[in-house]
Amino acid sequence: MSFIYLDNAATTPLDPRVTAAMQPFLGDEFGNPSSRHPLGVRAAEAVDAARRQVARALGADPQHVTFTSGGTEANNLAVLGLARAARQAGRHILIGATEHPSVRSSALALREEGFEVEFLTLDDDGALDEADLTARLREDTILVSQMLVNNEFGTIYPVARLARIVRARSPHARLHVDCVQGFGKLECSPADLGVDCISVSSHKVHGPKGVGALVFAGPCPLRPLVFGGGQERGLRPGTQNVPGIVGFGLAAELTEDGREAALISMGACRAALIELFKEVPGLRVFEPGREHVPSLVAVRVAWAPAEVVMHHLEARGVYVSSGSACQATKAQVSPGALALGLDATETRHILRWSFSSSTTLDEVRRGAQALAEIGAELTSGYEASSR
Amino acid sequence: MSGNGTGESGTSTSSVVTYNAEMVLVRYGELGLKGGNRASFEVALCRNIVQAAAAISEVRCERSRGRITVFPKRRVEAVARRLQDVFGISSISPCVGVEPTPTAIVDAARPVFEDALASYGGREGVTFRVRSSRADKRFPMVSTDLDRHVAEAILRPEDKVVVQLKRPEITLGIDVRPERAYLFARRLPGPGGLPVGTLGKVMCLISGGIDSPVAAWMSMKRGCQVFYVTFHSYPYIGEASKKKVVDLVRHLGRYQPRSRLFVAPFTETQEAIRDHAPPSYRTVLYRRMMQRIASRLSRRAKARALITGESIGQVASQTLENMTCIENAASLPVLRPLVTFDKQETIEVAQRIGTFELSCLPEPDCCTVFMPSKPIIRGREEECLEAESRYDVEGLVERACAGVETIDVDQV
Repeated sequence: MSFIYLDNAATTPLDPRVTAAMQPFLGDEFGNPSSRHPLGVRAAEAVDAARRQVARALGADPQHVTFTSGGTEANNLAVLGLARAARQAGRHILIGATEHPSVRSSALALREEGFEVEFLTLDDDGALDEADLTARLREDTILVSQMLVNNEFGTIYPVARLARIVRARSPHARLHVDCVQGFGKLECSPADLGVDCISVSSHKVHGPKGVGALVFAGPCPLRPLVFGGGQERGLRPGTQNVPGIVGFGLAAELTEDGREAALISMGACRAALIELFKEVPGLRVFEPGREHVPSLVAVRVAWAPAEVVMHHLEARGVYVSSGSACQATKAQVSPGALALGLDATETRHILRWSFSSSTTLDEVRRGAQALAEIGAELTSGYEASSR
Repeated sequence: MSGNGTGESGTSTSSVVTYNAEMVLVRYGELGLKGGNRASFEVALCRNIVQAAAAISEVRCERSRGRITVFPKRRVEAVARRLQDVFGISSISPCVGVEPTPTAIVDAARPVFEDALASYGGREGVTFRVRSSRADKRFPMVSTDLDRHVAEAILRPEDKVVVQLKRPEITLGIDVRPERAYLFARRLPGPGGLPVGTLGKVMCLISGGIDSPVAAWMSMKRGCQVFYVTFHSYPYIGEASKKKVVDLVRHLGRYQPRSRLFVAPFTETQEAIRDHAPPSYRTVLYRRMMQRIASRLSRRAKARALITGESIGQVASQTLENMTCIENAASLPVLRPLVTFDKQETIEVAQRIGTFELSCLPEPDCCTVFMPSKPIIRGREEECLEAESRYDVEGLVERACAGVETIDVDQV
């Protein structure tokens, strides 16, 4: 690659082993898993094998893995599907403060169906406000959805603790956790998090785009969003994306098997980057909350809007992001930033650097070097024009 | 974000504990009774535990006088739940283990208790007791004294719990053993039964229907290691039917992680029966051939009995007369775990063990091939023998066994 890719929270490159595993299913093995001739049976077997790989990576049972078209659909299915299935038990729903738009917007859609949707808050440190959570939980709370890792700032939320609080106060509540950014960095087993289901996405872990999964700890009532031929136990009908699922299966396995090693190498990258940023005037590492994944550094850049700095970096062959990719194209402040009490100006100054297991220290150093040069350049320029 | 919210957090979060179980205490029932075999039963159970947990976490087992302690490398909760399907286990407690001294026990007890109390959501008057047992009689206190000592040491007025010895909501269990003391507040039920593999091997005739997987499961429950044989009449039935059986065997892998399935070609046999025997006898004659092939394969697998999902009177082929005709073709005892089950009872078990949904997938099996419109209800063995004189029974069995496809099905 002719560039340094430090935007792995947006997406990751395909692992070549994953590409190779998918290849047959983009060629001769084109069968429909629901067909009953050998071509179809082989496709079904491939999907089943991938389901076992994903289950194993997440400490779940294969029959509790539902493949979707990605993290967004998994989140939609969880929020809408769990709430609609629990309508008899209550109408009250709690949504995390910094959820991805796929959770947030689904919850807002439920409001139109007569559900009572509230958003949780963060405390002054940017951590989950447990007192606020405790106060809001009710007997008729039917769903709580909270992300494990913040996609913009890398904050780890204490989901297992949250689960205990929820179980104590709201016996009917189902718990959903968006693990899209957490998978590959933290233990995501739904049983051990103490939650009902989790969402994961393939392309964040060196798998193909267009595939993800909703994974349950055990049997759990859920209303499907689409209706059709009964695939995925009727929870997500439609002919399965066989090559995508096969790729995701292997990517999930490789990710979980390589997790410890990845944490060490990403941790080294993060530590190095933070040290290097300290030497550059006008940079401040932004670490809301108490714990952070080693795969991400959010940094506030004083000299110019992040968008401008990002393009300067890009011109030097360093690809990072200004805010999450899902928010980057929008002018407004992300709800996550708002929950942290950031205003529009501040948000526009935050750059996100994110690593994968294949990111090297050399790439990180060159990225930081490029940023330092841009800093020197922009400070002189901006001082001349605007100050 | 609100100031008063954070102000309160100090008090409210104190009720939430970061206690985490680090090991799993496994109790077993019947195998404790087996005297001389006990050690080998325990070894088998440990092996089965390690295999069952493998997909979730690497685990290590430690045996100690009537208990097994399981140390998962990670995912303790998922492992504990997984062990609920391992036969031979009577109950499971995720627990913490400490040095077996009164001081260490008291120190560890409060977090375990708080964790249990947290699930009652701050309700007042939750009933509670400590219940300890000592396998290590050198411990300086008798159990009742330890119960009282721990309760007095850990209870605080703000807990607002009521000590109640009969059927309390929370029982803080303390199991004092020479190697360590175990503390727990939860007891998950195990499936009972005997460890798979301790009572020998059997050969289960499996079809993809509802009954035979349940029969296999019940045999495992009684400690049998199950081999499977299915009969495949290609191209009258297709690959998808075979896959359905493999899927069922794999699902039963929850209870027996490694299984071997023999797929016996059955087309030639069915065609011979179609061509040479009265149509009404076809089903009975098919089944006689199945018994013969299964008996022959059992020799390979060293299985000592055949298992079928038959139940008296459930279908035409399962009258006492027909069952006798069929059984007489077997050279091993035929065990029928479901023999007196109503269909509904079988379905309930199938639902509980998770095979029902798979069994209901509409794939044909070989029994449907050339199915007569009026099958015989009270078959007579003389008629069977007469029909069988018209085709080469021995040759058909020989060729079916020679053409067997062996599939090893791992749980993952």
